[in-house]
Amino acid sequence: MEKTISDFILALRSSGSTVSVSESIDAMNAAELIGYHDREAFRDSLSAVLAKSFHEKEIFAECFNRFFSFDTFSEETTRPPCGLASEHLEGSFPLAQMILSHDTAGLAASIREAARETGINEIKFFSQKGLYIQRIMRNMGLGEMQGVIRRLYQEDTSSSREMAERLEGARGYLFKNVKDFVEHQLGLFSGSAIEELVEDHLRNTRLSDLEERDFHRMHTIIRKMVKRLNDLHSRRRKVFKRGQLDFMKTLRKNVTYQGMLFDIKWKKKKVDRPNIVAICDVSRSVEAVSRFLLLFLCSLNKGLARIRTFIFCSNLIEVSQVFDEYPVEEAIAKLQSGKGLGIMLASTDYGQALRDLVEGWSGIITHKTTVLILGDARNNYGDPETGILKSIQERCKRLIWLNPEPRSLWGIGDSEMKRYLPYCHLAKECNTVNHLERVVDSLL
Amino acid sequence: MNPLHDDKFASIERIQEGFKEAGYICSRKIATTLYLGYHLEKPILVEGPAGVGKTELAKTAATFAGVPLIRMQCYEGLDESKALYEWKYGKQLLYTQILRDQLNDITKGAEGLSDSIDKLHQYDDIFFSESFLEPRPLLKALRQEEGAVLLVDEVDKSDDEFEAFLMEILSDFQVSIPEIGTIQAETRPVVFLTSNNTRELGEPLKRRCLHLYIPLPGPRLEREIICIRVPGISEKLRMQLVSFIQQLRELDIKKVPSISETIDWARVLLLLHADRLSSDLIRETLHIILKFEEDIKVAEEHLYDMTRKAKREAEN
Repeated sequence: MEKTISDFILALRSSGSTVSVSESIDAMNAAELIGYHDREAFRDSLSAVLAKSFHEKEIFAECFNRFFSFDTFSEETTRPPCGLASEHLEGSFPLAQMILSHDTAGLAASIREAARETGINEIKFFSQKGLYIQRIMRNMGLGEMQGVIRRLYQEDTSSSREMAERLEGARGYLFKNVKDFVEHQLGLFSGSAIEELVEDHLRNTRLSDLEERDFHRMHTIIRKMVKRLNDLHSRRRKVFKRGQLDFMKTLRKNVTYQGMLFDIKWKKKKVDRPNIVAICDVSRSVEAVSRFLLLFLCSLNKGLARIRTFIFCSNLIEVSQVFDEYPVEEAIAKLQSGKGLGIMLASTDYGQALRDLVEGWSGIITHKTTVLILGDARNNYGDPETGILKSIQERCKRLIWLNPEPRSLWGIGDSEMKRYLPYCHLAKECNTVNHLERVVDSLL
Repeated sequence: MNPLHDDKFASIERIQEGFKEAGYICSRKIATTLYLGYHLEKPILVEGPAGVGKTELAKTAATFAGVPLIRMQCYEGLDESKALYEWKYGKQLLYTQILRDQLNDITKGAEGLSDSIDKLHQYDDIFFSESFLEPRPLLKALRQEEGAVLLVDEVDKSDDEFEAFLMEILSDFQVSIPEIGTIQAETRPVVFLTSNNTRELGEPLKRRCLHLYIPLPGPRLEREIICIRVPGISEKLRMQLVSFIQQLRELDIKKVPSISETIDWARVLLLLHADRLSSDLIRETLHIILKFEEDIKVAEEHLYDMTRKAKREAEN
């Protein structure tokens, strides 16, 4: 039974739930304590030990039902004829006996047994199906059966011919069931492998090449990424020097008590969390990319540091509050359409955007602020106002420019990137999720 | 935990019955988790919407086992000195001042500074002994001889650092105090942690706990709960009330009423000597179950239909 539980845990893992080794040990202990006779109690106890959040509970329930489903053998019209004289089988041939006598329980058990020997729990892709089916059949004694069939044909009497045909029918029946079984197992164990492949691919795809249907998946990837960044960096958000006696302060405080040390002061130091001002271009030229950048900013805003977010096209507005008020998808749709926000979606004007920023929100950029600009710097031959960018750079801690265009295109046509470049502490090409992650990691 | 309680936790059914006697209806799932938690000696992490009886579960467990409940409310900035132990600094200082004469006596015959310090060293442990130790909830729970129920309430409100610190205690049930040594639990307490999911708890903490999710109850369970918590209420009103609440939970509102609110409402209706629901009565008492102005407005729109349906369901 231990093997069954560890198989179940494997299946659980492949459906996207994380199960640690210590949890699997707990599962074994729990199963031993509760026993296997009461399905409900068994399920509840495994659920308590293995699934540690509401989301995981759902995965668990589904996986449990699939894994511990009763073996249903296909009952169909082509089932092999029964009541056969076994004169030709000479008793030493359990597989055919089982099929012909309709011992479905025995068959199911022997399929499982054979499957275990082939290591079915390592199946990952649908293309491996045929291989596993063949292996399982062979382990069950198919070779022997083939031999018997061949021999029967060679004998060439009417009864042996009939027997051979029946056995062939039985073989087909067996094949179908093994195939069902393997497909079932594939569903159980392969879950995450394909998903991982797709995810890996998406992370390295250019943001502008992503399609609408991947949007949802992208969302999950970005959320995962933000969560990881959060796990890494939230710790630093408030580091206290706690538990150390602040001797100076204590002495100073206790002068009032004639130097008797009654009131003890401890060292306390709070480290500021990152202070970020993000400015994102939402014009036509970067539309495809900006959707993901906004998605990313939004997730960051919800999960991590406090960010002031601005978007601009012909002019610049603050949109931090939009992220707070609406759920992610709605917020992004709202920002892209720009309805009711007071943004003008005519030709992009970086100069105007910078002027707006300095005039309207000059106070928010301090020596602690990191300014993050997302845009292609294509200014339609307008005044780039590099002077303002210079003044911002002088005031802020760091100025980072992320450009979705590859470096070779910077400064060509109406791109002002080369003129902005001297005033950026860091300017990077950024058009895949992996780029984004690396930049943000260095930001925090 | 103490073998004393083994018979109480002997089977899942026993736990269910015992809790019912103590006034808490627990589903089989909850009872199974309690059974496991007791026998595997693992803390139980309870999650679920606000007001489904997470804290109540721990309280009832203490009543059921007949051991004290030690509760620790978590909040941002909670640290060891408030959770585990602290030295009574004031008392230490006061005693050194009071005992100044005795200290003089001790160092009297000594020659030179190093000699007197040597003499003092023979006594220095006095001021860092148990009598100057202020035990906080965690230490208190470890030192209960009869065992205890330790409730770490709303652990999601505490900091990450505190969560990490908690892990040591939860896995080994021991703490080390540098001046005294390691203190081992006399009998392992039953530990409950509750969380409202204001932030995601760390994986390591989750790994060490059994996880229990308590959802909002279905109508049958809720009727049973009302029956046991508000015994004076008439059968008919109870049916109507539960049906109404169940419908209310389906509406699109900010904060759905939880069990504790249902119980409060039932008590209010009992006080008002109501024997059946009516639209007027509901309108007047709606603020007891709904806590937002917008929610009340939404509910009032559907009030008539819901009352009628509740009445109809109660008759069937």
